[in-house]
Amino acid sequence: MFANFRLSLTWLHTWFGLTLGFVLMVAFFFGSLSVFDREIDRWSLPDTRIEPQPMPSFDSILASRFAMITEPDTDQRDEAAKRVTAPLPGKLTARSWNAYTTHRDPVLLMYVGFEVPNSPLPEDTVYGDITIDPRDGRVLPEDRLALGSGFFYPMHYSLHITWHDLGYWIVGFAAMMMLVALVSGVVMHRKFFREFFTFRPGKRLLRSTLDLHNLTGVVALPFHFLWALSGLIIFAAIYFPVFETSLQPLVDQHEHEEAMHTGLDAKPSGVPGRLASVDAMMKVAKDHWASRGVPGEVGFLSVTHVGNSNAYVSIYRDSTDRVATAEGLHFEGSTGRVIFEDPPAGPIETVNAFLTGMHLQQFKHWTLRWLIFAGGLLSCACIATGFIFFVEKRKHVHAKQGRVGATCVDALAVTTVTGIVVATMFMLVMNRVLPEELARRGVWEKGAFWVAWLATLLHAAWRAPAVLQGRLSKAWAEQCRVIVLLGVAAVALNALTTGDHLGRTLGAGYWPVAGVDLLLLAAAGTAAIAARRLRQRAGDPRTELASIEEAERA
Amino acid sequence: MAATRSRWQVFSRICASTLGSYAFCWGFVALGGASLIAAGLEFHEASSLVSMLAFLLYLTTFCWAFIASSLALVWGVLAWGGALMALAAWWIARLMA
Amino acid sequence: MPDSALLAAALVCAVIGMSWLALAMDVHWDQVCDAPGSRRSIVVLRMLGASSLLGSLVLCLVADTATMAVLVWMMLLALAAVSVAFVLSTRPRILALLVGVSWRSCEPSSP
Repeated sequence: MFANFRLSLTWLHTWFGLTLGFVLMVAFFFGSLSVFDREIDRWSLPDTRIEPQPMPSFDSILASRFAMITEPDTDQRDEAAKRVTAPLPGKLTARSWNAYTTHRDPVLLMYVGFEVPNSPLPEDTVYGDITIDPRDGRVLPEDRLALGSGFFYPMHYSLHITWHDLGYWIVGFAAMMMLVALVSGVVMHRKFFREFFTFRPGKRLLRSTLDLHNLTGVVALPFHFLWALSGLIIFAAIYFPVFETSLQPLVDQHEHEEAMHTGLDAKPSGVPGRLASVDAMMKVAKDHWASRGVPGEVGFLSVTHVGNSNAYVSIYRDSTDRVATAEGLHFEGSTGRVIFEDPPAGPIETVNAFLTGMHLQQFKHWTLRWLIFAGGLLSCACIATGFIFFVEKRKHVHAKQGRVGATCVDALAVTTVTGIVVATMFMLVMNRVLPEELARRGVWEKGAFWVAWLATLLHAAWRAPAVLQGRLSKAWAEQCRVIVLLGVAAVALNALTTGDHLGRTLGAGYWPVAGVDLLLLAAAGTAAIAARRLRQRAGDPRTELASIEEAERA
Repeated sequence: MAATRSRWQVFSRICASTLGSYAFCWGFVALGGASLIAAGLEFHEASSLVSMLAFLLYLTTFCWAFIASSLALVWGVLAWGGALMALAAWWIARLMA
Repeated sequence: MPDSALLAAALVCAVIGMSWLALAMDVHWDQVCDAPGSRRSIVVLRMLGASSLLGSLVLCLVADTATMAVLVWMMLLALAAVSVAFVLSTRPRILALLVGVSWRSCEPSSP
């Protein structure tokens, strides 16, 4: 298509980087926030501001709570009703019980998998869940939205577009384009080593933006590449469902062999059976890990074929000190004896588990997790400077020719750079402002986010005409000022509505809430500095003139 | 800048790079997975390996689709290659069942 | 030695290593000092830089298991490189202090 290899990759980098860049901003921004998803949950749900707890007793607490989950989530049930070949029965059978906790969780997530009969999908399951306080088993109110793990985290991998997994596909394609942009970027950047440390803020906007784009891209290149690739690998079953479709016979054969080899049946027996003491099984597991030199807490507990004679209980260690996810111990449900222990993973599975564990970073290493957060922000900076460079390079030329390209990109850039920060902070503010007992409070909070984000888009569009004339849009500075206001407001409202002001949280060492407050203030501070610099630049006619000359030369 | 680049050519290139690569990588996962399992590699080891490699392969074929000068060659290799590999995989799976 | 101290030392090694590598480049040496770097000092600076980065890796490996350590080191290098770039773009002379380059070699040979 092009005269040479470098030109082709330049075209790819520019156009695919630009279009998918907007999705990537969302993925990397909310991905960075997701490093602290549980901490944001604590901030948004003051009831849960307690210390992290280990997995509680199954026999005295969990068993009765599982029995309370009699129905799946209504949305999931409605979706299933559309895809089955016969009408769904009133009550669905519970197939599995699951409980999951990590070293950062004060509350415990419990979910039950229900079998969907007459479904075209193999082993179709829908889920119902509750959250409990592990200290006493108290069930927490259902319609409270955990802003971190319930909103920001799913946003980063699915954009909350669940219709036929479309959101997963969009983010997946964007992740692949990130890899393409990294490879093409390296090819385009002729001075990879020479300009490794180069950042010239004093030069013209076009040059200093490109410097920053190259710097943030190159310096954290392994991070950008590994996180985009590992994100894709985690969802490989969605993107390449080859084994579940065209190679289904191989899967069936493997499952049959595995059931014979491990003693864990793939299908329920249909004969009722009772469950022995799971607490005893948890103790056996912990003793086993301690005897192997890796003592630990139970991270994930699962009962499969609930209520059947061949039910089995799987217990996995909370792997706080390793990157890769852990192996499990499987017990016979009716007797409590160990049926099977997952063998150490083969070399390829180890690599897969490492990449997955690396991406999800549930391990207990706060330095590394903060460094990963910083890496995510560097990715955001790389993408944002990419947008700014694109606009700056073209806006004067487009202004002369009366084209709207640069103007549209600038408005979309405002929306996805300053706009998402505004929307995020507005959601946190509304989380504190809305009445505690408001019905469907989570729906109101989500609505607040989307409305605020839409407002930033409209604001950007309103201020866009300046770019049509080759000038800087005021939307950037104005949204920065809104970020300052909202950031400070969120911290103040937290103090007012919960009493957990920074003095108290820092004094008590309650880092989840103190950390979120400090990050909000840091964001507000950064936005304040940015707003001031933008005002200086917009007011200086020399910079505008210099930009025009530079663009004409380009 | 290239001399001739009609809208249709650009659109066809993009389809080849996105959809053509997908077909090719699907074929790779199918054939690679089925062959490795037939050769005796454990099921999860085989499926993980081909899935991980599939993404790196997609990255390669996607870029190649834009670098290669002949669009016909690109379509040929990606679409036909993918179909042939998928067919071979289906045949191997049948043999093993 | 507690882990946090080891990692702090690893970060310091990484920053010093990146600084030496930066100073091995003419453009950054000129930002920091007026005296042009000789051929010899470039090789020495590069070797010093590389060994400091390796030293950082060793400290990370002492602090954590191998798989974690490699990830930590990779991210520390990125942080160190970005920090050095920002110091160079705002107050380049600080780098001279950082790596103990004597002020005398930075003075211009003729007024």
